[in-house]
Amino acid sequence: MPLTKQEDPEDTLDELLQNKARIEELPSDQDDAFEDVESDDSGIPFPGKPTKRERRAEADLPLWLQQGTINLFHDELETTTTEARQKATNDCLPLLTGRRTENLALNSYGIPHLHREGHAAFLHSQLDTFPAPYVAIDASRPWFFYWTMAGLSTLGEDVSHFRDRLVETVRPLQNATGGFGGGHGQYSHCAGTYATVLALATVGGLDMVDRKAMWHWLGTVKQADGGFCMAIGAEEDIRGAYCAMTIITLLNLPLELPPDASARSAGLTSFTDRLGEWVGRCQTYEGGIGGAPTNEAHGAYAFCALACLSIIDAPHISIPKYLDAPALLSWLAARQTQPEGGFQGRQEKLVDACYSHWVGGCWDLMQAALSPSPSASNCEVKDVWNRAALIRYLLTCCQQPGKKAGMRDKPSTRPDAYHTCYSLAGLSHAQNHYHYDGSAATRSESGRLMAAFNWTAERATEEELREWRVERGDVVECVHPVFVLPMGVVDGVKVQFENGTF
Amino acid sequence: MGKYSQDPQWADITPLPTDEGGPNPLAAIAYSDEYAETMSYLRAVMAADEKSERVLALTEDLIDMNPAHYTVWLYRAECLFAVGGATEQERQKSLRQELEWLNDTALDHQKNYQIWHHRMLVVDKLGSVEGEQEFVEQMFDKDAKNYHVWSYRQWMVRRFDLWEKGELEFTEGLIGRDVRNNSAWNHRWFVVNGREGSEGVKDKGVRTREVEFAMQAIGRAPGNQCGWNYLRGVARKGGMGLGELKVFVGQFAGLEGGEVRSSHALDLMAEILAEEEGGREEAGRALDMLKEKYDPIRRNYWEYRKVMLGLPAAGAAA
Repeated sequence: MPLTKQEDPEDTLDELLQNKARIEELPSDQDDAFEDVESDDSGIPFPGKPTKRERRAEADLPLWLQQGTINLFHDELETTTTEARQKATNDCLPLLTGRRTENLALNSYGIPHLHREGHAAFLHSQLDTFPAPYVAIDASRPWFFYWTMAGLSTLGEDVSHFRDRLVETVRPLQNATGGFGGGHGQYSHCAGTYATVLALATVGGLDMVDRKAMWHWLGTVKQADGGFCMAIGAEEDIRGAYCAMTIITLLNLPLELPPDASARSAGLTSFTDRLGEWVGRCQTYEGGIGGAPTNEAHGAYAFCALACLSIIDAPHISIPKYLDAPALLSWLAARQTQPEGGFQGRQEKLVDACYSHWVGGCWDLMQAALSPSPSASNCEVKDVWNRAALIRYLLTCCQQPGKKAGMRDKPSTRPDAYHTCYSLAGLSHAQNHYHYDGSAATRSESGRLMAAFNWTAERATEEELREWRVERGDVVECVHPVFVLPMGVVDGVKVQFENGTF
Repeated sequence: MGKYSQDPQWADITPLPTDEGGPNPLAAIAYSDEYAETMSYLRAVMAADEKSERVLALTEDLIDMNPAHYTVWLYRAECLFAVGGATEQERQKSLRQELEWLNDTALDHQKNYQIWHHRMLVVDKLGSVEGEQEFVEQMFDKDAKNYHVWSYRQWMVRRFDLWEKGELEFTEGLIGRDVRNNSAWNHRWFVVNGREGSEGVKDKGVRTREVEFAMQAIGRAPGNQCGWNYLRGVARKGGMGLGELKVFVGQFAGLEGGEVRSSHALDLMAEILAEEEGGREEAGRALDMLKEKYDPIRRNYWEYRKVMLGLPAAGAAA
């Protein structure tokens, strides 16, 4: 079962985005899905001198996984941080190098296949009724709708048959004053509303949203300094900015603030007033982005910032306008952990699969903003990050073995819907290409922000797949780089609300 | 029959049961009877906009069962401020009681973050920061990188003007304990630079002190990027030429054939060289060392840094 207590103190976006603490205790009879976890232990990592065969295997590894690289530096000073990191690395290395496989079926390169059926089965199980101890997710059920629908879509499953059930399920969550709460009778909240709107989009159910009331409610959370609060009376942070602008753009709500919006008294007239500047204030001395001005740089907030800026204008315009792009690029590059190949959320924290999306999703947006652009034909560097390393981390370390699989933060943790969804999205960022069409209009005639609709996706070439050691059958669907939805769903929503009237 | 439905004090309330969302809802929760009942009374009192002592007790019950319930926290705050007492003294007393209750709840639920927003509202109303620094330090003993607690600490410093009340020493203590605690580094930056109207590291004395602090930390653990980032940040904001750091960085970057003790030093050295007249080729050499040996996982990034310097790239990565 998902959301069990994690064994390491690494925090992830499920506290940040989900509005909930992890479930602290679970009855042990919920754990039967994992009894096969430890069934395969095919080798002891690094026993003595390598044999000839192992030396050959070593040479076959990418440079960052070879002993020479791993042994280059050693920690001069042991602290709590180095202890935790050493443990994570020790858990991952045998899986990354293929010394241990946990019984997962391997592709022709010796890397596990993507266990599609297993992950789909896991996500389906997350839509069943949860037992009473899961009351801790009572304020974040909309996320389960989104994680499952988005995750299944990324695996290539058509989820439209869920439409009627999902529409019925979320009806009591919609408030007459606009927006969705985490459950029946709960205050409307930016995170819950974002998750509900996205989940409804995947199943074609957005007709049920009261757009006019939504517009009024969003007017109540827009702040005079340009940012957004998560709910009336709640904290202001950068998730609010990304969630609100996503909702406004997908549903084509007027950019004009409602007449009763309190930010009007500070002279603001539009949802985008002072917004880019506010996002810019969240960049820290490290180059990364904090949840609010002066807070520590964090990968999840980097994605919220870049995606928000990529909604309000073309990324190559808005990102360099409001952020120090080279400093952010340097910070993002440093988040890919050596030797695991996944991403960490903050400086000197542990690798975690959810950042495969939160940091991994930044590259599409950043690469479109860089000059010279790595995707331009005259640039000799095609990527600024390491796709092969992320793919290897996800396939070797983050797939839970067993029939009802699911994906996990790292080997010492258990799978949950959150990590499954964002691992698959991260895999999609790594396996596919996304291009921004710089010649397309950024405003429609009616005034809708169009920049986020100007993306196209492209499949990797056979040569690239060989380089990444991926087989074609393990490539997942393309995921929209701003809205984190299937590309076709975004095309549909763009047309559905072309006419922005209420 | 439940606690509320049997209580004559609640007899005037008609509970509003959960609307499950059709006969076949997705990801439903099989609520315990107790939780379902308490929630149905909360919906009813919220619909009636009742703010009273008994509602405070009701929200406490719910928070015990589900501390991640943001609506209950927000409504509790509204209640607390509405019924907190007739005199200033009574109000203070009720806010103090609230804090005591919050202390236990926060320690029991380390990862919960609604608590911290609520605490901020309460302490703001109370207008006194007494005991808060100590309590926050207790939280850091358990997890010194808790994002929400750090955010709360920043708010405290700003709200109660604690800039010169031991905060710098506090960060020094935490960084001394774990030099890789980046949250503590970020707080230090905030304490030094975050005060409205202050010069921060643009002041020469402050800059020298902070450069010294970062260099000492780097000397203890050259592989720790926190110190390097801080040093670079101070130099940039403080208006120093990066060249002033060259001798120091050189000790760790081994460009002249010495030992490379930190890939971060090579990275910073590449930046320093790129700013020098005619230094681009040499910067390229540092980037090549990173790419080929010292940090191959970021091979593409180092290659792109050469492109940014106008140097020829080696072609597509293998």
